[in-house]
Amino acid sequence: MNKITRRQFLYCSAALFSASAIPAWAARPSGAKPGNEYGKEDVSGRVFRGDAPEKPWKWSHEGLFYDKLKNDRVICGVCPNRCNLAPGDRSVCRSKVNIGGTLYTLTYGNPCAVHLDPVEKKPLFHFKPRSKAFSIATTGCNLRCLNCQNWEISQVRPEDVRYSELFPKEAVEAAKGVSAESIAYTYSEPVTFFEYMIGTARIAKEEGIYNLLISNGYINREPLLELCRVVDGANVNLKSFSDSIYRKLNGGRLQPVLETFRTMHEKGIHFEITNLVVPGYADDQEMVKRMCEWIVESLGPDHPLHFLRFFPKYKLNRLPPTPLSTLTRFRELALSGGIRYVYLGNVPDNEGNNTYCHNCHKMLVERKGYLIPEYNLTGNRCKFCNTVIPGVWDEGGPGPV
Amino acid sequence: MKKNEGSITSVVIATGISSVVAQLITIREFLAQLHGNEFVIALILFNWLVLGGVGTLMARLALRGYWKASIKRLAWMSVLLSCLPSIQILAVRWFRDVFFIHGVSVGFYQTLFYIFLTIAPYTLIIGFVLPYSLFVIRNLNPACSGIRIYLADNLGDIAGGALFSFFLVYFVSPMTALLLSNLPLLVFAYLLFPASGRSRIGILSGCGLALLILFSGVFLETASLSPREGELAFYGESRYGRIEVLRDRDQFTLLRDGRPVFSSHNFSMAEEIIHYPLSQIENAGHILLISAESGMMEELEKYKPAIVDYVELDPQITEIQFRFNLLKPFPGLNIIHKDGRAYLKETDTSYDAVIINFTEPDTFQINRFFTDEFFSMVKRRIRPQGIFSFSMEGFENYLSESQRRKLSCVYNTASEYFSHVTLLPGQRVIFLCTDSPVMTDIPQRLYQKGIQTDYISSFYYGNLTEERIIKLNELMDPAVPVNTDGSPRLIRLMFSEWFEKFAASPVGFIAVFSMLGLIYLFRIKREEFVLFTTGCMTMGSEILVIFAFQIFFGYVYFQIGLIITVFLAGLFPGAWQGHRLRQKGKGVLLFTDCLLIIFMAAFIMSILFIGDHLPIAFFFIFGALVSFACGFQFPAALHLRKDDNPAATRAFSADLIGAACGILVSSVFLIPYFGLVWTAVILMAIKIMSLIAVAAGNE
Repeated sequence: MNKITRRQFLYCSAALFSASAIPAWAARPSGAKPGNEYGKEDVSGRVFRGDAPEKPWKWSHEGLFYDKLKNDRVICGVCPNRCNLAPGDRSVCRSKVNIGGTLYTLTYGNPCAVHLDPVEKKPLFHFKPRSKAFSIATTGCNLRCLNCQNWEISQVRPEDVRYSELFPKEAVEAAKGVSAESIAYTYSEPVTFFEYMIGTARIAKEEGIYNLLISNGYINREPLLELCRVVDGANVNLKSFSDSIYRKLNGGRLQPVLETFRTMHEKGIHFEITNLVVPGYADDQEMVKRMCEWIVESLGPDHPLHFLRFFPKYKLNRLPPTPLSTLTRFRELALSGGIRYVYLGNVPDNEGNNTYCHNCHKMLVERKGYLIPEYNLTGNRCKFCNTVIPGVWDEGGPGPV
Repeated sequence: MKKNEGSITSVVIATGISSVVAQLITIREFLAQLHGNEFVIALILFNWLVLGGVGTLMARLALRGYWKASIKRLAWMSVLLSCLPSIQILAVRWFRDVFFIHGVSVGFYQTLFYIFLTIAPYTLIIGFVLPYSLFVIRNLNPACSGIRIYLADNLGDIAGGALFSFFLVYFVSPMTALLLSNLPLLVFAYLLFPASGRSRIGILSGCGLALLILFSGVFLETASLSPREGELAFYGESRYGRIEVLRDRDQFTLLRDGRPVFSSHNFSMAEEIIHYPLSQIENAGHILLISAESGMMEELEKYKPAIVDYVELDPQITEIQFRFNLLKPFPGLNIIHKDGRAYLKETDTSYDAVIINFTEPDTFQINRFFTDEFFSMVKRRIRPQGIFSFSMEGFENYLSESQRRKLSCVYNTASEYFSHVTLLPGQRVIFLCTDSPVMTDIPQRLYQKGIQTDYISSFYYGNLTEERIIKLNELMDPAVPVNTDGSPRLIRLMFSEWFEKFAASPVGFIAVFSMLGLIYLFRIKREEFVLFTTGCMTMGSEILVIFAFQIFFGYVYFQIGLIITVFLAGLFPGAWQGHRLRQKGKGVLLFTDCLLIIFMAAFIMSILFIGDHLPIAFFFIFGALVSFACGFQFPAALHLRKDDNPAATRAFSADLIGAACGILVSSVFLIPYFGLVWTAVILMAIKIMSLIAVAAGNE
């Protein structure tokens, strides 16, 4: 047999490289790169090794819930990801870093989105209708939702965006300056800027401004209890009632979110639940039935539930929008399952936007987008049958249309 | 013996027919399954050629006795090749949801590797078969020239391209097209088997199985496209791409190339796109609407316009829109089936409003509606108090840097022609371009006009606060250069955003590609380098023509088969003539290199000085001439390398690998970053390097 020549060896090597390395790379979990997804069945984020800055910056603050481990490692205790960080590492949410054995948040007083929104936009339908919420967000999220509508800020590092300087005291002043009745911690995921949120919320509470948490509910019990002391209203996203869908579309787990609902209910916080009906995933009637049963059994019938219409977004952009009839059917299902207030979101001019008294079934609040042409509550009671309506309402009725 | 040689040549021609049709259908399939832009086309062609080149190199194993060349083996491979394209298309459809999460779009690397994996079996064998056929013929007739196979292959390629472009694309579905284009190969492969022998039953079973696969493909056509959500209410392959209508309960969604474009029951977008511009003008008598979506006609009708010219390129799209009640006709609606840009260039009509409703400009086809040249055309057709409006992808609460640059690029381009350009941050960012100040209190304007809306009247004040509008407009960066036809900066920004969205970087790919490329270039002979650069320039030119065609005429999806055919058409006569003059060796190489440089120089001059006044025929003639020169050169290069079997495989692979590099570098890097003209200059420079290499070397 002839000896192989140098050239033939090179060709064979190149062919072997192409034939084996490239498919191997392709077949790897689609996120072998730190911080990206694990793979097709679970898109959970991963810790970013060695991605922390060398020293804290102006908008850093020591983390509030964390444990120090051996070798200067720390473990963050704010959310169920429980990121175990060696010095120089950055958390899944991209907001927390381990610098020299201390856990720092990099999102303290540097919101990248600041807007004044109608409270109905959150959506919160049973909380001070027609009031304005001073809404702030920094970067970061502990999940990896494929349909994230705020991916420009939720999936980037705090150093990578434009931001304004608004430390807690200034944030409260700014909210007062625009006559907002509440401050909403929203847009990205406020759990990831927990320290900033709680710092601001404490001052706001002292100043008589409400605090609203708009969140995915992916938070541990201890920090949540701390938050419950200052939060007045919340909208928490129950993305689906299936752990596998949570892993596949959101990179999270269902159980911690259910625990969040239980804790908030136990603490008497007013919260509303949103459920985005993603076609092909979260539009299974049996699953929705089970979800409604769980809500009624565990949280009671009074927490409003919003079914949101899905539109193609971010990476999940090859699915059709949710059909209206699916949403309507789910609303009926939830109402007949015992949930008293069920709404449809992202659907203009639909009766699913209005509030009807669960006792006399008369219309209490007519909503046309963010406008309220009709309002039939006196304080927190139905004007027609005097039934107490759950929520946080104005004693003298809402502000002007 | 002569009969066998003829049979082998017939198989090679039939393989050429099959492979070109398979390639074109595969391109369309990937555009529908992944992302319908030109980068994906480039990645497909790149993978196709590289794998073909690797297959060709692997044929050398046959020379070393690992898999000795024989007629029977060639026949079996051809039987396999005849049914592989159908399996490949079904695999592309089925494996999408196996490899990726259902409903997600995919990033650059996933696209690259998915293409690589799904087409590898077919393309490796296709690459293998060509030189292998030559070895088989040479077993029968050692004097047979490699150019004979090259010519036969080219003839098949041209026939396949013409068959697809002039017949299959119009009349049959993809799987039927594969059936029709592979039947000749199956028949010739069957005839290649020895007439007698003990394995007759095996041969018949094999051919029968291949036939069964081809027919099964046809029957599985619609089933393989069935969606998980709802049911497929309509499926059609128009000349411009795939159209599907999905029915989910009472909702119909129109999908173009696999992506939902719009659906019934979603009037908020229609309200924004129609009312934001029309609320600004006093008289909406004559309106031009380029592309439309569900609910728009009802909103337009509220202004009681005298005439609405609705321009839509694809007649099948409008037919479907009206059939499924996604659009409703009204008096004064005038439907024009034409490319929007071509229409605007030709019309003399002046409009009160021009509204463009396209998806994001992430393809060259759509980018041409966001360029300096197009805006100047619009400006000429708009009445003094009129308005021009279009939209780009929106954002919820934060404008990312990449999107800011995109919007700034378009903002700066539009500002060259309109004294007032205002961006409204709706569900999409809506550009209002006029010569009068824009009034941003839209609900108030609509109230004054007595126009009722559902979405705007209820949501505008919460979603489009004055603060949000001001912030967005203040973020526009005047330093971002404008977007032009020749230098499509916007496409580059879209490409960057694609990487950003998937948290990826092209650096790894560029490094691996460059390393392998350099290793290859250091190992090849001078004549192979000439073929490599010719392949590179020919395919680079093909990509240039595809992109230029897209820019100037805007319907490459329809014409892509024709363009590819034209670029194949010159090869055969070129190789034929080149074979006659091959003895002149180095002189031929020098002559053809000079010719290619002259053709490219002429192309550059024409683009620079004539631009979009160039006739379609110019591009076809250019393509044919370049491919003629390429074909002309091949026999001489082969002759200089003594035309033995190893030389033939190396020559074939140099041509293929050069072509792969030309495609990839031109489309992914040169055109987006340097524009058409500079890409052509760089390709010309590469050819000059080859000319110098030939001139400096001894024969």
